[in-house]
Amino acid sequence: MNVADLTLQADVAHWSWTIALFLWFVGIAGMGSVAYYFSRKAPLAITIFASLVIGLLLVVSHLTRWWNLPVTIFYAVLELSFNFQSWMFWGFVILSVHLVFSAVVVLANIPYLQRFWFLRWGAVLNQSNLFLGGFAFAGFMATVYSGFLISTAAGVPLWNTALIPVLWVISASVATVAVLELFYVFGWVEEREAAFGLRIGMGLDVMKLLAVLAFIHISLTVGTMGAQIGAERMFSGDLAMLTWIGVIGIGILLPLAIGAFTLLFGKKKPLLAVSAVAALAGVLFLRAAVLLAGIWEPLVI
Amino acid sequence: MRLRRGQKPTRRLAHVWNEANCTACGACIIACTATNAPEMMHREEKGWNSLASNIRRIESANAQGRPTMLLNQCQHCEDAPCVHTCPFGAVYYNDDGLVAIDERLCIGCSYCVAACPYNVRWMHPDNGLPKKCMGQACLDLVAANQQPACVQACPANARDFGDLNDPNSSVTQTLRRLPNRVLLEKAGTKPKYFIVESAS
Ligand code: SF4
Ligand code: SF4
Ligand code: SF4
Repeated sequence: MNVADLTLQADVAHWSWTIALFLWFVGIAGMGSVAYYFSRKAPLAITIFASLVIGLLLVVSHLTRWWNLPVTIFYAVLELSFNFQSWMFWGFVILSVHLVFSAVVVLANIPYLQRFWFLRWGAVLNQSNLFLGGFAFAGFMATVYSGFLISTAAGVPLWNTALIPVLWVISASVATVAVLELFYVFGWVEEREAAFGLRIGMGLDVMKLLAVLAFIHISLTVGTMGAQIGAERMFSGDLAMLTWIGVIGIGILLPLAIGAFTLLFGKKKPLLAVSAVAALAGVLFLRAAVLLAGIWEPLVI
Repeated sequence: MRLRRGQKPTRRLAHVWNEANCTACGACIIACTATNAPEMMHREEKGWNSLASNIRRIESANAQGRPTMLLNQCQHCEDAPCVHTCPFGAVYYNDDGLVAIDERLCIGCSYCVAACPYNVRWMHPDNGLPKKCMGQACLDLVAANQQPACVQACPANARDFGDLNDPNSSVTQTLRRLPNRVLLEKAGTKPKYFIVESAS
């Protein structure tokens, strides 16, 4: 039995750093919207909206036929050819709804715009728990979608696991806590919000560590040959540096160490800034490592 | 014609490759590109490190160290992941049982490429469309009651193409008579690319 071919997904389907950044921004915007329910601050609203817009621009730039999008939508509506089985289709729906919600929330958070009476409905919605609950739900679903998007790509066995959406939600939550930490460092929020305090951040880091290790372990032990080779690339192959230093060292262990230091000796803003930036980078590295490690199932002769 | 959900195709056109007859000359690969994407002659599909063609040649060695060769192409799966994943329905089953593309509905997201377990799709570098068997020129040949380019080009009669629903078609008879297999059967895609294992 011989492995006849190893084709990297990134070389043929071209899902690499651009898509990793898209998934990262969607995660920040998505779980950021959940955080917004509890911490209704203007910088958070702006971060969510900006992340979503940048993420969407990135993904559209990745389409090899982006200019065909209006034509496609026109014919898809005309002929009702939407594919309800496709997570990418649901992604378009969820991200569109999320974008509209986040635009309303941003509108309500810009005092200048609130001078105009015809825009004040934004502030009314921004007070509504029902509306903000819907916003949080849309954000959560956007994060979940960004996981299912790749876990349902049947050509890449490493991705075909329900662990990926779970991992994406956990790591996007880590990123959101990091964003709130940065706001605290910049003095944009008084005190880090209680619900997203240090201990929750550290708990999420531990959960993320377990989920990353479980993902690699399960792929290595019970995955198909394609999943095993992909996981090996992350564990000990050409992507091991990205995994061990980027995802785990910088992304998880460094913030955990700073968290432990903070618990013992109190808050130091420069250290919190390092921790937040490291955690955010780690979340991006995780998405990049998982994407880049994907290969097709080798056809065994 | 595009099949609607639940509709059955009238024909079930399928490819047969006889690996025992094949001399690995590569004529089918070149005929495929020359017919369906002549602009890609002499140009490489970088991810595969080979000529951009709808047929992919995979070389390896068996347990005894003897060289082996597999010709791989779209299997026209009857439960195709590329159809399930395309967001706007650009990829569809047609009335001939083939998996086809409606270019108007394609945005070039390459989801179908990542979703194909057989790694037979490639993105055309000029127009951004995902390519695979069958190309438009071969569909035109079939519509004109001719065999596709690869079948016509094969000097060793290692290729055939026909209707599995027709008990008298050459493909049905070959598959009945000779041992054969499909690739990644466990993937559950119901592939229709048959590899015949003994010479005809
Ligand atoms: S049928 Fe046409 S497109 Fe398909 S492999 Fe043969 S030559 Fe290529
Ligand atoms: S082989 Fe791949 S491209 Fe062809 S029908 Fe099956 S999933 Fe689609
Ligand atoms: S590249 Fe085109 S055909 Fe393939 S999934 Fe995307 S829109 Fe559909």
